[in-house]
Amino acid sequence: MSAAARPMRGRAGTPDARAGVLGVIRPRTRWREFWLLVLVGITLTIGSVSLNATVVAADAEQGAALPAGALAPYRGGLLLVYLGALLAAHLAQVLAGRRSDQVLLPAVGMLGGISLLLMSRLPQDLAGQFGGLARTQLIWLLIAVALTAVVAVVVRSDRWLRLYKYTWAAAGVGLLLLTFVAGREVNGQRLTLDIGPLSGQPSELLKVILVVFLAGYLSENRALLVEQSTRVGPIRLPPLPYLAPMAAMWAIALGVVVVQRDLGAALLFFAVFLVLLYIATARWSYVVIGLVLFLAGSWLMYNLFGHVKDRVDIWIDPFADPRVAGYQIVQALYAFGRGGILGTGLGNGLPVVAGRLPIPLIHADFPLAALGEELGLIGILAILGLYLVVIERGLRIAASAADDFRALLAAGLSLVVGVQAFIIAAGNLKLVPLTGITLPFVSYGGSSLVANAIVVGLLLALSDRGVEPPPPPQRTAGRFRRLIDRGAA
Amino acid sequence: MDGISLSLWLLRLLFLLFLYLFLLAVVRVLVRDLRAASREPEAELGRLQVVASPGGEPRAGTVLALDAITTLGRDVNNTIVVDDQFASSDHAVLTFRGRTWYVEDLESTNGTYVNGTPVDGVSPLGYGDELQIGQVRLRLDRARR
Amino acid sequence: MGRSVRIGRGQRRPIGESVTRVGVALSLAFGALAASAGYWQVVESAPLTASADNPAVVAAARSVVRGPIEDRSGVWLASSRRDGTGDPYRVYRDPVMSPVIGYASRQYGTAGLERALDAELVGLRRPDPVSDMLKKFEAEPADPQALQLTISLELQRAAVRALGDRRGAVVILQPRTGDVLALASNPVYDANGLAKPETAEDVFRRLREDPAEPLLPRATQGRYVPGSVFKIVTALAALDSGAVRPDTVFPGQREAERDGLVVSGFRIREHGGVPVQDLELAPATEVSSNIYYAMAGLAAGAEALVAVAERLGFNAPLPFVLPTAPSQVTNGGGPLPGGFKDDVELANAAYGQAETLATPLQMALVAATVANDGVLMEPRLVASMTGRDGTRTNQPREWRRVVSEETAAAVKAAMREAVEGELGRRFTTGADIPGVETAGKSGTAELGGRGEPHSWFIGFAPVDDPQVAIAVLVERGGRGAEAAAPIGGRMMEAALAELAGG
Repeated sequence: MSAAARPMRGRAGTPDARAGVLGVIRPRTRWREFWLLVLVGITLTIGSVSLNATVVAADAEQGAALPAGALAPYRGGLLLVYLGALLAAHLAQVLAGRRSDQVLLPAVGMLGGISLLLMSRLPQDLAGQFGGLARTQLIWLLIAVALTAVVAVVVRSDRWLRLYKYTWAAAGVGLLLLTFVAGREVNGQRLTLDIGPLSGQPSELLKVILVVFLAGYLSENRALLVEQSTRVGPIRLPPLPYLAPMAAMWAIALGVVVVQRDLGAALLFFAVFLVLLYIATARWSYVVIGLVLFLAGSWLMYNLFGHVKDRVDIWIDPFADPRVAGYQIVQALYAFGRGGILGTGLGNGLPVVAGRLPIPLIHADFPLAALGEELGLIGILAILGLYLVVIERGLRIAASAADDFRALLAAGLSLVVGVQAFIIAAGNLKLVPLTGITLPFVSYGGSSLVANAIVVGLLLALSDRGVEPPPPPQRTAGRFRRLIDRGAA
Repeated sequence: MDGISLSLWLLRLLFLLFLYLFLLAVVRVLVRDLRAASREPEAELGRLQVVASPGGEPRAGTVLALDAITTLGRDVNNTIVVDDQFASSDHAVLTFRGRTWYVEDLESTNGTYVNGTPVDGVSPLGYGDELQIGQVRLRLDRARR
Repeated sequence: MGRSVRIGRGQRRPIGESVTRVGVALSLAFGALAASAGYWQVVESAPLTASADNPAVVAAARSVVRGPIEDRSGVWLASSRRDGTGDPYRVYRDPVMSPVIGYASRQYGTAGLERALDAELVGLRRPDPVSDMLKKFEAEPADPQALQLTISLELQRAAVRALGDRRGAVVILQPRTGDVLALASNPVYDANGLAKPETAEDVFRRLREDPAEPLLPRATQGRYVPGSVFKIVTALAALDSGAVRPDTVFPGQREAERDGLVVSGFRIREHGGVPVQDLELAPATEVSSNIYYAMAGLAAGAEALVAVAERLGFNAPLPFVLPTAPSQVTNGGGPLPGGFKDDVELANAAYGQAETLATPLQMALVAATVANDGVLMEPRLVASMTGRDGTRTNQPREWRRVVSEETAAAVKAAMREAVEGELGRRFTTGADIPGVETAGKSGTAELGGRGEPHSWFIGFAPVDDPQVAIAVLVERGGRGAEAAAPIGGRMMEAALAELAGG
């Protein structure tokens, strides 16, 4: 066997082959990313100045001109640190010399920056163990940016994701069970897990693990799912044994709703699963079966569980009880209404009555409503546009991926972001029942930022096609079938 | 409308304006990428022409485009399904690495042959070489540009 | 190239295609988000911003001096004062206005007109949408509007006085314009106690626990069995559908008056006081024959009855500035058109029993429609609003034509007989106004079980050129002729005098 063939790494190949693949790392400029990041910096600074001027003007006497000192960024130190972190992430990628996507980081960085502006504008005692809301959020943002950069630079092979998909699945289920058993209830939802001094929401990590597993499973069984059918009378159904994972997903989603009372995560998991199944097979019958399962599950939940019924009833008519049950969503709609087209301006919305914000969980569940009020419809459209950009980039990475696993992984990762953003935004806008999941990159909270940082990091790593070609597929199932074939022959 | 609120509104609108400037810049990049992608339609790496196929599937004369990883065998999960009684369910895999194609025999019962020579483990495959899997013979061709 | 080359690769489609489709689907989903954001932030923005529960309104209401409210002749009904700390609070002239104006309390929010027009009174919304959109660029965005009502304080007082210590409601309208002259409900409450921060808590608790429910505005939100006053709706439907003419006589009516009318095995009996004879529309209305109207309702059919009732405003909240409870002909859910269970329910509903329920305001609109030759005007309570940039007048608006002019004329004649006719007088004692031709209909709503029935009267005057239309309800007042009809007569007389004087 020639030396050139070695990196091919057949099943019997040696793992040290990777050393040769890396080769010499040469820095590679990323000017598009750089200029986009500069634009992010300018935009966020203007936003920060506008916020500061509003705050200063509110305290000042009426007059012809803004008082001195109004035209400075609001809590500029925080913003500066954040922009510095983005730049560092950019430089890290330049030095690593990878040819990864240059749009994702600025787009996501803009969303994170808007989040930072919003958090520094809200009352600082809402949450946060590290000296206030904005500072805590900044710390998480820094961790997230660092994590994105590290994943984007270091991950040069998807072997560890591809080969151990069942291990990942087991880890995910374990995490879920752990939350079921040891989870702490916060606001009636059991989805917070305490590990030592750290507390987090495992369902955020779970969604990444889920996508890795699904990409592995579906890429391996793609052809089977596409081509085989089970005949039930005159109807051609997909191969039933391979629907077992669908049933399992359905059961997991229901379990999440029942035990964790986390409608949002359940909806997210199931939606991502269905869409990935469709991407892998292009068969509508799966989507239809999935939707039937979804409707059946919803009906069951609605009739069996009070909290599901409450959510749905509130969704149908929040104005029926605007002061208690429908309070949050009604207040969110008021906020959107107050914003109108142009918004009230950063720092000028969210009227405080008797020292209280209109929406108690505004930093976690309703950031979109707050932004809708202060930035108006125009601002909301821009933010939705940013999410679409992230989704588009992710799906393009999927479409041009070298093989099925990478394609499904990239598609799944961008779906996780897109669908989650849709579910919570639609909940805020009364398009679907409200659920307590976070708005990716914008909501306050460490687990969400960390999980989404991993997603972006993986997408960046996957977008670099030049480094290592995918290894030949591992076929454990295939080997098993071969044994049967031999036996039959 | 007094001076203060005028300057406040200017700042607010400027922020929104720059948000859209950013979006515009991003969209320009996206469009440029899409154009570039459409100019080089699906970079094909190579193709296999079926030279002889007594079993009928794939049919002789068929041209098959290749992915960076292409698996061959009787199993439907393969990229190219070789429906031949002498082919194993997971027979062989073709991979494109750098500038060269390689073929690897996946421990098939009847073996994989390149120009009549049995493949042991991994072997490079040149354009014009003939690959035999079971009774099916395929020729590796350069991608048409 | 591309496509044809791929033959033979199995039917496996390239993943890019389905990825593109998913991308399109997600874009559509985000388009839906943008659309709903547009809906809430553009279409619904003004009503949301103006809602009384909106924190912006609540915050403004604490510091802004609300606009004053006046009656039709300029007498102040509500104004504001400042307390020791300089914060404004509301004062009200007369408790009789409480069912209309409601209250504005710092602790307990708002009710009535103070709630319905909260944003205008606080000045966060102006009647003119363009200036409303530009207001955020102004230094002082609040522009409290002063309201002038169509109500006459004098008439309102007279109505409450006439009801005395009985619970009930009186609604007086001008049929030609829809103007509300009085919208009285009894008992009333003193909203000053709620508006004053020091006393609000005690007063609110006391009012909430009062079994007489003074906080319920009976004229607009009390739903009562209408009894015989509903026959006017049946008459309109029967005539307008063509099933009955003014001179129609139902065969077998005479027997039915004596032995009862059998509908699907269920026997409907006449109340006392109806002569056993064949009746046409006018005499049947004069003596308020249940049998005649049951037959007329069956002849018209459920569909026609519900259709005319809905055109009159049943089954939906009325287009009125104050919130109204929807009136109904039936509970719904039955197989017949409109949701009647069977012919028995339809026959009973035709004379205002069964599951029919109506608000006094709704029944006043029925009388006003007959008076206005079949055309229903939207009830108008706020005549104009005045702010910094001038006064905007609410013009009277036609809601719709309910029935033809001929139908209205025939019913008008029948209602005239019911007040002026020899036999009719016995059922509407006291409803006629000396020197003025009056039309009307009394009602005695049996409630099942023991206890006195609700007493109703609806009517209008003068017959040839109606100036006022009225609905009177006295809860548990006994027969229509005893309680409601005399109040109706007196109030119409007072209203005509008021209109002539002002």
